[in-house]
Parts: sequence; C-alpha cells; structure tokens
Amino acid sequence: MTNEVTAAALVPAAAGGAPVGDRGAFWRRRVAYTLLIGYALLMFVPFAWSIITSFKTLPDSVRLTIVPQPFTLQAWEFAFTQLTPSLPRLFLNSGIIAVVVTISNLLLASMAGYAFARLRFPGREILFLIVLATLMIPDQLRLVPVYLILNFLGLTKGLLQYGGVILILAVSGSSIFLMRQYFLSIPRDLEEAARMDGAGFFRTFWQVMLPLAGPALAAVSILTFQGTWNGYFWPLILLQDQDQWTLPLGLSSFRLAGGLATNWPPLMATVVMATIPIVILYLFFQRYFVEGIAASGVKG
Amino acid sequence: MAATTAPRTSKSREDRAESVAAYALIAIPMILFLILNIGSVAYALFISLWEWNVRSGPVEFLGLGNYAATLTDPIFLRGITNSLYYAAVWVPLTMIIGLGLAVIVNQKIRGRTFFRAAFYFPAIASSAAITILWIFIVSPEGLFNVVRGAMGLNPLFELLGFGPKQNWIGDQDTALNSIIILNAWTTSGTFMLFYLASLQSIPGQVYEAAAIDGAGPWSTFRHITFPLLKPGHYFVATVAVIGALQLFDQAAIAGGPGGDPNNSLMTMVVYLYNAAFLQFKFGYAAAVGIVLFIFIFGATLIQRRLFGQAPSW
Repeated sequence: MTNEVTAAALVPAAAGGAPVGDRGAFWRRRVAYTLLIGYALLMFVPFAWSIITSFKTLPDSVRLTIVPQPFTLQAWEFAFTQLTPSLPRLFLNSGIIAVVVTISNLLLASMAGYAFARLRFPGREILFLIVLATLMIPDQLRLVPVYLILNFLGLTKGLLQYGGVILILAVSGSSIFLMRQYFLSIPRDLEEAARMDGAGFFRTFWQVMLPLAGPALAAVSILTFQGTWNGYFWPLILLQDQDQWTLPLGLSSFRLAGGLATNWPPLMATVVMATIPIVILYLFFQRYFVEGIAASGVKG
Repeated sequence: MAATTAPRTSKSREDRAESVAAYALIAIPMILFLILNIGSVAYALFISLWEWNVRSGPVEFLGLGNYAATLTDPIFLRGITNSLYYAAVWVPLTMIIGLGLAVIVNQKIRGRTFFRAAFYFPAIASSAAITILWIFIVSPEGLFNVVRGAMGLNPLFELLGFGPKQNWIGDQDTALNSIIILNAWTTSGTFMLFYLASLQSIPGQVYEAAAIDGAGPWSTFRHITFPLLKPGHYFVATVAVIGALQLFDQAAIAGGPGGDPNNSLMTMVVYLYNAAFLQFKFGYAAAVGIVLFIFIFGATLIQRRLFGQAPSW
C-alpha cells in the first residue's frame, strides 16, 4: 500500500491539480507525501514493536534489533502455559462476554430503535429522552449503586459475575440511537405495503425493516464487540474471581502483580493476543468502524 | 426528535395495538435504564449522605459530611488538579492533531482511504494493551530512549534535564505527561473522524467562492474552514473534556490504584475507585462520584457559553 502511495507522489500530474512542469508544486507534494507516510508509519511502529519483541529473549528485548536475535518462541510458550489465569482462559472469557453483549445489543437496540423511529405511543418523547440521558450519566457516578444493586441480585459471585457484566452492558443508549437514526432514514413505502398485506408490527419489523438495516446492524456489532472486548472499567469492578477475568484485567495484573513487571517478551505476547482479534476485524470491516464513529460524531 | 402526536381517530383499537407493540419492543432496555441508570443516580445521591457498610448498608446519617470530607482531603485535591491539568493539556493537543489530520485526509489525495485507516488505527486497541505497550516503549531501556540515543538527540534531552535512561512513566515529574502523549496518539484518529464528518458538511460552493476571490490555502482555512467548523469544535471539545475528566484506565494501569508514583497519576476517578474498592467507603465514594459529575456538568455548561448555542445534533 505504501509503495503505491510513494509512486503516486512521484507522478504529480496523475494525482491531479498541479500543472506539469510546476517544479514548486512537485516538491511540495513530495514533501507532503513523505511527511504523511512517515506519520502513518508512526501509527504502526509501536504495534510492530510489540510483535517483534514477543519473539525475542529478555536481554534482546531492550536492544534496537528489528530481527530478533535469536528468534525464539519462548515468550509465547511462557505466555500460554505459565500465567495465572491462563491466557486461553482470559481469551475465552473475553470472547464469551463480547459475543453475548453484541448479540444482546443487536436484538434489543434494533427492536427499541424501530419502536422509537416508527411507532406512535403515549410517552414516546419522554422515554426517548431517558435513552439520551443515559448517554450523559458518567459510569463512575453509577459505580457504587450499580455494584450494590448487582450484589443484591446475587450477580457478583461465582459464574453469575459474567451475568452482572453482561446485564450492565446488555444494551447501550448509543446502540438504540444509532438504530433509530437508521430506521428514520428508510422510506416508509415498503413497510406500508407490508402493513396493507396485513402484517403485524412484529412481522413488519422482523421481515421488512430488519433486513433493510444491514449497515446499521454492522456498525452496532463492530462498535459493541470492540468496546466490550476492550472494556476495562466494568469488568474490573464486577469480576472479582480470577477465573472470570477478561484479557484487559489479566494484562494489567501481569504488569502489576503477576511477576511479569519488566519481563517484556511474554508481556508483549499477551498484548499481541489481546489486540489481534480487533486488528483482524478492523482489516475486514474498516469501513464500518470509520462510518460508525463518524455517525456517532455527527449525531451526538 | 420529531414531535408527532397521534391524532384521535376512530381507529383507536389499532392505535392501542401499536402502543402495546411499542411497549413490548422497548420494555427490556427501558427497565434496565430505569434501574441501572436513572435509578442509580438517585440511589447514589442517597448513599452519598450516609456512612455506608458494603454488607449491612447505611450505618450513620452524615448529611453533607461526605462532601465536606472530599474537599478537605489533600489527595482528592491532587486528583482534581491532575484531572484538570490533563484536560487542559490533552484536549487542545488532541483536537489540534485531529483537526490537522482531518483537513489533510479531506483533500483529494492519493491513498486517502489508507491514510484515514492508518491514523485511526491506534484507537482500536484496548486501553490495557496500549498502556502496557506504552509503558514498555517509554521505560528506561525502552524503544523511545534507545531511538533518541541512536539519533544523537541525547544532548538535547540533557539540556531539558533528562538523562539517557529517563524513566518517563515511573518519574513523578513526567508520568502524567507521558499518559497525555499516549492518549493524544491513540485518540487523535477518533477526533479526526469527528472533524471529517463536520468538514464534509461544509458546502463546496463556499470554497469555490474563496478560490475565485484568490484566497490561498492558509487563508481559506483560517477565515472559512475554521469558523464554519464551529459545531464540530463544540462537539469534539465537549466529548473530549467529558472523557478527560473521566481519565482512569491508563492512569490506573500505569500507576496502580494508588496513582503512583507519589500521586502523580492520581485522578478523580482513580481516587473514586480507591475509596470504593480498596477502602470500602461506599458512602464517601458515592459523594466523590457526585462531585465528579458536577465537574463534568460544569465544564459542559462553560463550553456551551463559550461556543454559544448548542448545534442541532
């Protein structure tokens, strides 16, 4: 990719704008592209460094060698077998919570988004204001009461700790908002035709509206999965048992108390493990990341 | 929000069916929100007035005692100062980088999709992973110190008072600034996307008119783009300040729940977490949460005044 860009910079006429023979513009463009490419590379350097370091030995990890000397899988072996809680366990916990929370957001937010966008019912305005208000309440303000409520419900012990985290993340105001905005943008003709044919509200939603909402569902899935996989605050507070920890919790404990404090290669292997799934998602669904963020930006 | 009220018609049975369907569709989210959001805020206000035991509940009614105690604890005051300093430096820094990147990738340049994707890339990793990676990079023998040594920049850093093995995140004078740079790096891509959406809402004719008047790129930016982005500035600044005052993950992972070294990474939220889950002072922690909310709300009001009427998003 970068090679193509460099090639484009060398052919200013092809990139449009500058008239052929305008040497000043030619050099300005070259300098601009060089700076841009340099800055873009800077975005990847730390991640590349974590991957390289994970294949190094400890003495080599603090040297400026780009090819590990010697190249070793020791750190990976260590990360997979020697840590408590084990890396596969953390990976599994993060995966379970992120998948369940994503599915739940998809279901609940698309139903509620459809109701707020299309159906008329008493109290709609005030109920939607409550949805918006949840976006303004900082999580930290809710920390103590939420913990006490979940504790009262028995969701802070044993396997039910997963339940506590899932319940608190089950549906977000921003997912509902995103779905509602998308449903509002769909023309009414199709669902009116379905209603004429005698379809009820649920069938209209399920068979007509939902299949049309693909891009919004994709954005909600990606943003929710990423947010939950990466989440730190609620898991930290609600997951007391090591066995239930997610990757971010495991990671920060390895750094602080897990004996890895400055044992960089295995620490970097865990960083790579925690980041890889999201990087893969980003490579395939980059458009939805970018559009989802932009949409939440424009519309608040 | 479009205010459409149902006209009273004879089809009241169908209206009822519509209402019932709607309530069924929104029931679960609304119950969760009413208990875990709205209810929680009311509950937090109540708890904050008590000395509260985790197991047995309220112990002694203190009235505003917890609030008075927060504002006289020097460590909480340090947390407030750190959070405000972080907001004052990180918000403008990240907004400037984000705006700059947005203006660049909004041009008709080759590979702009690639550049957008690249600049947003650091934002996708988890706060835990990126913070640990950062701790490694700015550690005494980490990549940053090694590279600046190899580039011959050490005399320059020596002038600023930093040795060749400066422990950036472990030194109380540089810890918070290291976190500022980390978060400016990871979040500028997000702000770029916010600004990009805002830039694309500026009509093209405005620029055509400026070009006809012979305005150069800088003066176009200074006199046209920048002022027309006012709703964008308002949105990004509001989101940024709210996020800044809630700084927790990076500070807690780098400095632990004690905000080490020497309270230099103690923020309002780290203090809150510490009070609730290390000292188990739930009533006190609830009061800290309310104080935090007042700070966030106050900052939002100030920004509203600065930027005028809120835009219609």
